[in-house]
Amino acid sequence: MRYSGNIGNRVVDKKRILVILNLMILFDKVSKIYQKDWVALQDITFEIDKGEFAFICGSTGAGKTTLLKMIYKDEEPTRGAIRVLNQNLKDIRKREIPKFRRKIGVVFQDFKLLQDRTLEENVAFSLEVTDTPPREIRKKLMETLTYLRLSHKKYAFPYQLSGGEQQKVAIARALVRDPYILLADEPTGNLDAKSSEDITNILLDINYRGTTVLMATHSISLVKKMKKRMLRIENCRLVQDK
Amino acid sequence: MSLRIGIREGVRTITRNASLFLLSLLVAAISLFLLALFSLVTVNLYKSIELLDEKIEIVVFLDRTANVNVLEENIAKINGVEEVIFISSEQALADLKNELQDTEEILNVFEENPLPASFRVKLKSSFRNAKGLEEISGKIMLLAGIEETLYGGELVDQLKRVTRVIVLFDLGLLLIIIFSVIFVIFQTIKLTIFARSTEIEIMKLVGASNGFIAVPFTFEGIVQGFIGGIIAFLLTVVTYRVAGFFFGNLYFPHWWFLLGTILGGILFGLIGSGIAVRRFLK
Repeated sequence: MRYSGNIGNRVVDKKRILVILNLMILFDKVSKIYQKDWVALQDITFEIDKGEFAFICGSTGAGKTTLLKMIYKDEEPTRGAIRVLNQNLKDIRKREIPKFRRKIGVVFQDFKLLQDRTLEENVAFSLEVTDTPPREIRKKLMETLTYLRLSHKKYAFPYQLSGGEQQKVAIARALVRDPYILLADEPTGNLDAKSSEDITNILLDINYRGTTVLMATHSISLVKKMKKRMLRIENCRLVQDK
Repeated sequence: MSLRIGIREGVRTITRNASLFLLSLLVAAISLFLLALFSLVTVNLYKSIELLDEKIEIVVFLDRTANVNVLEENIAKINGVEEVIFISSEQALADLKNELQDTEEILNVFEENPLPASFRVKLKSSFRNAKGLEEISGKIMLLAGIEETLYGGELVDQLKRVTRVIVLFDLGLLLIIIFSVIFVIFQTIKLTIFARSTEIEIMKLVGASNGFIAVPFTFEGIVQGFIGGIIAFLLTVVTYRVAGFFFGNLYFPHWWFLLGTILGGILFGLIGSGIAVRRFLK
């Protein structure tokens, strides 16, 4: 296994020490079985390196969401080991989960925005939970909203935005914290073709800037167009990795 | 988490779902009011039992030859006697006249004062029962110059049994009411938290710690308990005033009740939100 010897090399940033690891995600013979005999995933083994962009493909119910949930520790594997950001997920205690999750951004098909908060508040919220100083929050907000071209709508509520815009807000919320990994669970599932392309391009750009991106989708055509790594899940098993 | 964000989120939790907040506030206020009302009944019950208890005494009638001072001293020495009050025959007559008021002419048939002098012997609380009464009365009868003693005897014990049953019943009811109040407040808070389950899910997703998620709900619980407590107190005051018309002077320590309803409200709010949030976060 590659991860056994690779601890990662330290790079000193101006203000903080960033531990940059080559290996971002590792699944080692992971199975997830619900209620005795309902198998969701079986013997899944793969690695995702830093800076990679990978699609997870499979029809609805194939286990894509379960796989992503296991990465941000919302689900526990029944068998096998998972390492994320060089941490064995088994070793992360319950009360350490919030801290762990702050390093990972997650985007969903249904956006999961707080409906009674403005676009700006939704994005700022994810920094507030980490005790970020207000000045720093304002700075990060401006950067992120400008990057995603959302600044002009920062006082709008989610219901006043189109689906594509809402998904951008969800991405902004994940991105504002500079996550190491961005997980996207069918981010284009509720969007029209144009918005889907927009969102996919944004994810590609985020990846281009250095963030590892893992995107689950059922649309094979989209994946083929992108010419990126594809992990294909069928009948609970990983059947293709290219 | 900074206090600023905690309070802001708490206020937001309240204002955003104002109707739900008002509903649970109403539930808390009514529950606390019931509790306060019942406590008022209990306090008054205890007061009247205490008063009744203090009235248990032995009346000792003296014959005309009795040496009052020596007797008073000797009775006071008996174990279990708290106080000895002397009532002269003149005093007794005056009291009687006072009681008879308009029909005091009846007394004119007597040429001289027919009433003997007496002692009212008050007992220590552990002797205020049939056995104690009998024992002390027996000892008093042994003294020279005593004509007769009067006391309730068996009646006192019967009265005590009845009051004991009433007190037990009252305490049982109080306990049931306390549990129902906690249950109702807990259920209401759970309801408000369920209404915000998506929000909690999102908070967890962006890495909010359990503490961060719990603070606004705890804040809401405290505010709810505080306001609910004040409303409950006001309702109790109104009820006390109305009840005053029917039952005369009731015992109602205002400050204790105000403190009790507010602290009780906050405590219930804290416990209720604590349990509900903890359950939800699991």
